[in-house]
Amino acid sequence: MNSIVGVPLYIMSAATLLAIVTGALRLPTGLRRLPEWIGLVAVAATFASITFLWGESRVGFAGEIHLNRMGLLLTGIILLATAAVILLSWGEPAGAGRRAEYTGLLLAAATGMILTVIAGDLIVLFIGIELLSVSLYILCAIEVTRERSLEAGLKYLITGAVGTAILIYGFALLYGMTGTTSIDGISRALAEAGPLTSQPLLLASMALIAVALGFKASAVPFHHWTPDVYEGAPTPVTAFMATGTKTAAMGAFLILFTGAAQGAIADWRVLIGTIAAASMIVGNLGALVQTNVKRMLAWSSIAQAGYLLIGVAVGTQYGAEALVYYLIAYLVMTLAAFAIVILREREVENGDDLQSFTGYGRRRPWAGGVMTLAMLSLAGFPPLAGFIGKFMLFQAAIDAQMLWIAIIGALASAVSVVYYLRVAIVMWSPTPDDAHEVRRLRVPLSVAAVALICGVAIVALAVFAQPVINLCRGAAESLIS
Amino acid sequence: MPWVSLLVIVPFVVAIALLFVKKDNHATARALAITGALVTVAISIVVVVLFDRTSGALQQVDHANWISSIGLSWDLGVDGISLWLVLMTTVLFALGIIAACRRLPDRANVFLSLLLLSEVGLLGLFTAGDLVLFYVFWEFMLIPFAFLIWNWGGDDRRRAGYTFVIYTMVGSLVMLVSIITTAMLASQHLGYLTFLIRDLEGVPFGTTASTLLFAGFGLAFLIKLPLWPFHGWLPMAYSQAPIVVTALMAALMSKAGVYGLLRVGVPLFPDGANTLLIPIAILALVGIIYGSLLAWRAPTMRLLVGYSSLAHLGFIVLGIMVFDSMAAQGAVLQMVNHGIVVAAAFTIVMVLGRGGGTEDMDRLAGLAKGAPRLAVGFLIVAMAALALPGSNSFVGEFFILGGVFRQYSWMAVIAMAGVIYAAVYMLRMYQSTMNGPVKGVPADGRACELTRSDGLVLVPLILIMVFIAVWPRALVGATQASTDRAIAAAQVAADRPTSQITPLSITRNRP
Repeated sequence: MNSIVGVPLYIMSAATLLAIVTGALRLPTGLRRLPEWIGLVAVAATFASITFLWGESRVGFAGEIHLNRMGLLLTGIILLATAAVILLSWGEPAGAGRRAEYTGLLLAAATGMILTVIAGDLIVLFIGIELLSVSLYILCAIEVTRERSLEAGLKYLITGAVGTAILIYGFALLYGMTGTTSIDGISRALAEAGPLTSQPLLLASMALIAVALGFKASAVPFHHWTPDVYEGAPTPVTAFMATGTKTAAMGAFLILFTGAAQGAIADWRVLIGTIAAASMIVGNLGALVQTNVKRMLAWSSIAQAGYLLIGVAVGTQYGAEALVYYLIAYLVMTLAAFAIVILREREVENGDDLQSFTGYGRRRPWAGGVMTLAMLSLAGFPPLAGFIGKFMLFQAAIDAQMLWIAIIGALASAVSVVYYLRVAIVMWSPTPDDAHEVRRLRVPLSVAAVALICGVAIVALAVFAQPVINLCRGAAESLIS
Repeated sequence: MPWVSLLVIVPFVVAIALLFVKKDNHATARALAITGALVTVAISIVVVVLFDRTSGALQQVDHANWISSIGLSWDLGVDGISLWLVLMTTVLFALGIIAACRRLPDRANVFLSLLLLSEVGLLGLFTAGDLVLFYVFWEFMLIPFAFLIWNWGGDDRRRAGYTFVIYTMVGSLVMLVSIITTAMLASQHLGYLTFLIRDLEGVPFGTTASTLLFAGFGLAFLIKLPLWPFHGWLPMAYSQAPIVVTALMAALMSKAGVYGLLRVGVPLFPDGANTLLIPIAILALVGIIYGSLLAWRAPTMRLLVGYSSLAHLGFIVLGIMVFDSMAAQGAVLQMVNHGIVVAAAFTIVMVLGRGGGTEDMDRLAGLAKGAPRLAVGFLIVAMAALALPGSNSFVGEFFILGGVFRQYSWMAVIAMAGVIYAAVYMLRMYQSTMNGPVKGVPADGRACELTRSDGLVLVPLILIMVFIAVWPRALVGATQASTDRAIAAAQVAADRPTSQITPLSITRNRP
């Protein structure tokens, strides 16, 4: 029975509805965390289902859903991000009065991300992207009393809508030229189509799709919304955008380019490669001048999108493998960084300001340690997860005769060291006075747990990389048959 | 026992343990750090005892797969080039930690932990048999050194640390790309992907690729050395770092670059090394002259020693790049000599700075009167630094200059100037601080006199100098097989007459 492929979606959508419905109920105080618990249980159940489904590729709903290992692994990454973000939001002021909607929307966004990465059809993929985008528009603006949050929501909505329009236009052209919305069908049609340069409309459709997905992945030159939205949105939501949305967008890139358009690789390789190179350069240079950690992480996420896109640009199976490994590494290092920012935000006003981190490591050495590890890993220092990821991506690039992109990536990384290490230095430098220590709260257990687990994972993913890489290899194999 | 791996593991474990010591508990931190450093010395002595002096290959290899799907492995071992560097690293770190323990800064446990972590990086680097592992340790040592500058450095520490890190990172990331490219190109020839240096040796790359790859590696090495004109980070880093850290950087970290050249650059890319022989030799010669001149006019003693090492490293690079058996042995010997002498010189600077309250030479004079023991130690170190015949550095420089003269006599003539300058600046430092009327210090400078704990650091260093001076064969005998092996392919590439090419290389099958 092929409807088994829908199980992850069934669980997640049911949980979304349940969580939102609890908002209409008058819950006793003992159950006020019910939405969050529903979310965590649903994530755990979905995770169990994907481990059960791991193995042969399954196709369901008349080809609408492709549950191959790539889709399952990306789903796993999204689920981990979701669980972490639910934990990071535990007691978050933004969600305090609206727990049910907040958690429900998080789950809805996660459902959309999962739908995107297991799509077997353009329409399904589009619905997935829309579901995640619309949920995130609202989540960005959920602090309705805070101007910055509303501004972020609005900015994300407007730029996101443009991205959506471009995406659907690209899909329409693709459908017009190939006569099908099925990704398998498109793959066959593209393989038979010959060089795309002789088919301007097909080429245009691929370019439009790349642009639209570039919006979602915040790749240059479609990145302008990122710093403002990342800064304005509630920090757990920012963390979700940085990890979950990025994973979904990369999944879509893999499905449409590495997977479906494999036959036309020569035509789009330079296009994606240029986007990747530009993102690495612009993102790293932009991050250099930031004084706000969230903005800095926004620019860094632009740069990281560039590194990730190397894996798409090479278009090889190894490229996909490296990309997925780097996504996992990126997940843990980004979450670790955001967890510490959230921790600080709960303690002081403007806790996302770099200045407020002065001497923080001396007072909370474990938090300083996790942040330092995250920064070193993002900068690509060995022997941490980020290093192994970059190593594999550069290897994939050189393997595919794209040495130039590896060199640009290497030089851009050298620049990035400055701003990543700045955070680490500030954290361990002496505090001028402890006057700005307004609130000294008990450390929220859930946030600390996420930070510590991610900190350990940053090291563990590198030291015990082989099993993880084996998973990624299985995923990459299922993508390119 | 995997002794070589233990060399890396023991200080690492101790460094991590130190992080959990309470920050005001100096006694425990001190005991732990010194014990860790001494155990590491003991292990390195075991490695030296077990060393087979007849073999030029990497020995006592500990091999384990790390990430086999991308060709990475944990592969540590020693050969004649690294053997003495390993011993020198453990000894100098032990002495450095003992010196640092005399006056511990705040958060001593972290300070000592970072020192040990940088030792891990250096020991790993000197023993790595896998290019990626080499890179891992190369980067690994950067972070503790940088944080030592950032947290305990002088007033301008932040800028000094950044300059140091950025310079190094540009070089090392280009090296990373070169490493991957090397393995990818070699895999087409070998049929499998590997980063093991011993497997990659002898792979033909073609002159262009070989030159570009050598340049990619060379950039990282020359920045780390540093060689003129890549020394921009040196004055700031050396003058801002805590003096123990400066000493270790000058004595050991600078050897990382030279070691890389001899261990990776020249043997893997003989054609490229041969193409770039003259340009790099010219940089080295300029460095010798330029470094000497800077040292001559340096305002502080610390910078004087720092710039002088710029000149001395130029000698060592020259010794490697002329592909002469004698010069290469001299280069390895001189790496050890320079490390010991620089460490001793910085010990003197440390004592002077502590007692006199300044490292500015013009503000101190006539100290020999109040601190005779210091004056004696200083004189011995100064004589060794200027390579007086009968000192350990003389042996090394003689080997290098002799070898260089055999190949390119004009280079030897220019390099000779550096030997003369060395006398000028070292004697200037000695004279201006020790002789003349007493100036700048209370009570004839008795505060500058060597204490027992200073002696604990300085005396072993002087004994090592004497030992090397009277019996250099003990060192050279163990290195010869390895240095010959390292430069053999380059000698063939440079079309040296067979009489000059060492026997090992003739049996080498060069593609």
